[in-house]
Amino acid sequence: MKRAGYVTLAVACMISAAPPALAGEEGAAKPWEERAVSPLPADAMPSGRLTPGQLTALAKHGELLFAAPFTRLDGAGRPMATQAIIPTKRKREAREAFQRMAGMDANSCASCHNSPAAGGAGDFTVNVFVSEGFGNADFDSTDPQFSNERNTNHLFGAGLVELLAREMTADLQSIRRLAADQARKSGKPATLPLVTKGVSFGSITVEPDGMADLSELDGVDTDLVIRPFSQKGVMTSLRQFSVNALNQHHGIQPVERFGTRWTGESDFDEDGKEDELAPADISALVAWQATLHAPTVMKPENAEWRAAAASGSQVFDTIGCNSCHIRALPLKSLDFSDPGPFDAAGTLRENENGEPAIYDLSSFSWAQSLERNEKGEVMIPLFGDLKRHRIADQKIATLGNELLSQRFVDRDVFMTSELWGIGSTEPYGHRGDLTTLDEVIRAHGGEGSDAARAYEKLAEEERSALIAFLKTLVIEP
Amino acid sequence: MRMNSPVSLGALAALVSLIPAITAASDITQDRDKRGLVMDVPFMVEQAGAAGIDHVYDGPWEFFVGGGGAGLDCNGDRKTDLFIAGGKNPAQLYVNKSATGGELSFEKRETGLDPALLENVTGAYPVDIDNDGHKDIVLLRVGRNAILKGGPDCTFTNASRQFSFDGGREWTTAFAATFEKDRTYPTLAFGNYVDRSAPGSPWGTCHDNFLFRPQVDDKSGNLSASGTGGEPDYSQQMTLSPGYCTLSMLFTDWKRSGEPDLRMTNDRQYYRGGEEQLWRMDPQRPPRLYRAAEGWRHVTIWGMGIAEADLNADGYPEYALTSMGDTKLQTLDEEAEEGRPVYRDIAFERGATAQRPYVGDAIRPSTGWHSEFADFNNDGKLDLFIAKGNVEKMPDFADFDPDNMLLGTHDGKFVEAGDLSGIALHTKGRGAVIADFNNDGMLDLLVVNRGGKASLFRNTGAMAQGGKTMQMGNWLEIELAQKGANRDAVGARISVKSGNETRVRTIQVGGGHASGHIGFVHVGLGVAERAQIRVQWPDGEWSAPFRVFANQFVRIDRGAESARYWLPE
Repeated sequence: MKRAGYVTLAVACMISAAPPALAGEEGAAKPWEERAVSPLPADAMPSGRLTPGQLTALAKHGELLFAAPFTRLDGAGRPMATQAIIPTKRKREAREAFQRMAGMDANSCASCHNSPAAGGAGDFTVNVFVSEGFGNADFDSTDPQFSNERNTNHLFGAGLVELLAREMTADLQSIRRLAADQARKSGKPATLPLVTKGVSFGSITVEPDGMADLSELDGVDTDLVIRPFSQKGVMTSLRQFSVNALNQHHGIQPVERFGTRWTGESDFDEDGKEDELAPADISALVAWQATLHAPTVMKPENAEWRAAAASGSQVFDTIGCNSCHIRALPLKSLDFSDPGPFDAAGTLRENENGEPAIYDLSSFSWAQSLERNEKGEVMIPLFGDLKRHRIADQKIATLGNELLSQRFVDRDVFMTSELWGIGSTEPYGHRGDLTTLDEVIRAHGGEGSDAARAYEKLAEEERSALIAFLKTLVIEP
Repeated sequence: MRMNSPVSLGALAALVSLIPAITAASDITQDRDKRGLVMDVPFMVEQAGAAGIDHVYDGPWEFFVGGGGAGLDCNGDRKTDLFIAGGKNPAQLYVNKSATGGELSFEKRETGLDPALLENVTGAYPVDIDNDGHKDIVLLRVGRNAILKGGPDCTFTNASRQFSFDGGREWTTAFAATFEKDRTYPTLAFGNYVDRSAPGSPWGTCHDNFLFRPQVDDKSGNLSASGTGGEPDYSQQMTLSPGYCTLSMLFTDWKRSGEPDLRMTNDRQYYRGGEEQLWRMDPQRPPRLYRAAEGWRHVTIWGMGIAEADLNADGYPEYALTSMGDTKLQTLDEEAEEGRPVYRDIAFERGATAQRPYVGDAIRPSTGWHSEFADFNNDGKLDLFIAKGNVEKMPDFADFDPDNMLLGTHDGKFVEAGDLSGIALHTKGRGAVIADFNNDGMLDLLVVNRGGKASLFRNTGAMAQGGKTMQMGNWLEIELAQKGANRDAVGARISVKSGNETRVRTIQVGGGHASGHIGFVHVGLGVAERAQIRVQWPDGEWSAPFRVFANQFVRIDRGAESARYWLPE
């Protein structure tokens, strides 16, 4: 068992001349205390460009939080609050504090995000149940009329994914602004294609009076914010994801959404613990997740696998997998600012609590090893397009066979799964109920149907090669 | 991998020492906490002079009351322009030139109207009377009232004669309009103050009020298919008697019948035997007063302004009535039988009495005028603004009487933040226009002051540490449109649902104190990132739900499949 507290101490000492604080000093936590973590002081909010050492120290605290089995003393439990992303009171106290469907359903983040390492995916055992948490918040059934069952995604490379989404959002909103300016200037409606990083999100038409027709948008929300996280693509940032998940899964209520500013209460869930997790701790969680290394393409030692993977890589393109699972998207900057630029109130925003902190991801060796294009942009090999697609149809409905839409997204529409790391994160499918890659490829309907049908028509050897290739997309522990 | 050992606080201290920290909490923050102001306090910066608004409402006794303004978009750029009454000074049109999210900026615009018409103006309300898409302005005057017909690019013409409207010779201080069932044009109600020519004036000589129903259908033929053209005929005036010196009136659907009645608040200073009034409006019959036998309670106040909001989204609105001393906050009594207007005052229990100045030690009572519910801090809870100011030099009432910014709390109460927000000026507030003048999602504020310059406050965001401001909650601004008559959907009810919370707004013309606003309807959303909007159109039909994202200007056309977003310049 690793004594994480001392790891953080060591890191802090390494980058500072300050004498180490020892357990037993006044104010220090006792090793046997039944709380999993000591929160950062309220005024410890990071800001400005962090040195590599400062970032490492912050991320270490985030790692501790991610792995911490939260206890009642940490604020675990939400007897009078539901899992909803908007602070919502229960009508009566939950019958059971822990419950695998409506939650809270986990002791630590890492208890689900653990394969192949902390921050990773999870198998079917740790599926979660997505429900708005407003009506029927205490459902205790897997009946799909109450919730959608979701397999746990991995978070490796998540910082890069968020950076890509931010740049794409900025591009789309810039195009929207350009269309409005053109329409106002010309006095005629202006229609512009919404394309960023080679991905088309349809088009937008703006009337001369500034009224926007959004009917031709494709795969993105009407505010043109790319929300890259969750299988449905409904979360903007790691910060938002963390705030949502802490409440839903652990009953830990971050102050930045559940505190007095927005709810009038310091103990909204009425579990006896006030101000459960401060913005600085959320920043630490974000720092750790954002600096998780990117998955890689493994070079198998086995020559036969190597050859099959090379062939399968070609098949991947030939049958059109790469039309949505785009191999790499270009990223201009590796500066990860937190809070980010596109979150809404309830997730800490830029300049809301001092200047944002800047995490320079280029200081990490794994980021330095990423390829760059001729413009010097970093090519992020995510095998995705950060766009939502209809992935089910009447014939093939496996990946969209749900009853409930989620946060305005239709029941058969999902974010393209990024395939990096897929070789390390079985099972597959939104519900984690497909045990092989072959099954999940065949399960593609809707916009993925052509590629899937093409796959089915391949010779067995070619299908096998494709699998061999996908198995090389791994998360190095 | 499990990490069961809590991290050392000493280690964290070392870590923290390396990270730039934000400044320590300021005195202001401590003061706020003491007062229970845990929510965002909007920082309102007065910038009338810099913004080009140099305007004084003034004059003798007749202009002790009134002092209103109209907020409307008169040139189609969806920025709220201002028309401000001046009393003995000329009323003035100010065209909004504010950059989106920037400093407020207005430009005086000559209207070309007869200068005499712009004098003796007590108030102004915007409404599109002739359904041509241009907002018109109803002028309240000491003397002949007028309807200013709006045209392109903020042009106005006096259309009183054209619409067969006789503005009378009274001292008019209140106005409200509604589109009654199956009528193409709005019904107009005018509230009058003291009849100065009556024997014994001013005591007990309140003038009757007037109602103008458009004659069926219009003078020049039916409305065209596009909804444009045609002219109303207001040649028939109906007297609403008795009048009790009405200072504010509002058509309000208090009983959820779909047919609004006419609520009036009256000034006891001059009436004898009078009271607050509610007129029953049957579209086919003359209005009649609700009586005590029907549950209407005898309430006498120095009624100055009416604000309406459905605070608990139950369909039955609450009313804030300003007065001298206590503000009333009325809610329909739960015990009241259906259709019986039995109201009880909840101002005290909700912390909304605002009976005396909140700054200084003076204990003399306040004098309240314009009142309006609005969400200034975008936390999803309605706040209550009240313009305050001594009538003139009434010694029994507060001299320094700052306007109120009563912020809504999460337990349904209100808490004062006028001083912290920056609106506690030594002025004599009268009317007001609350609108997002620079289209940044935060409500700004114009206050018309008697005997002093109008105040224009820019909402710069929540007060933060270090004297800075920061973003507040999420918001929506919603514009409704329908074809044909009543293009701006006056009387429509907008229901905005996020999670289990529903926020309700009604599009109304009237209320406040001699002031009105028409345009985007602002709704604070707190931490909600998405919302579902449903509209109950004026004829009672509910729309399908529209799904929208927060922090957008939303346009909903009746019958449209989806909402559109408007992009500010």
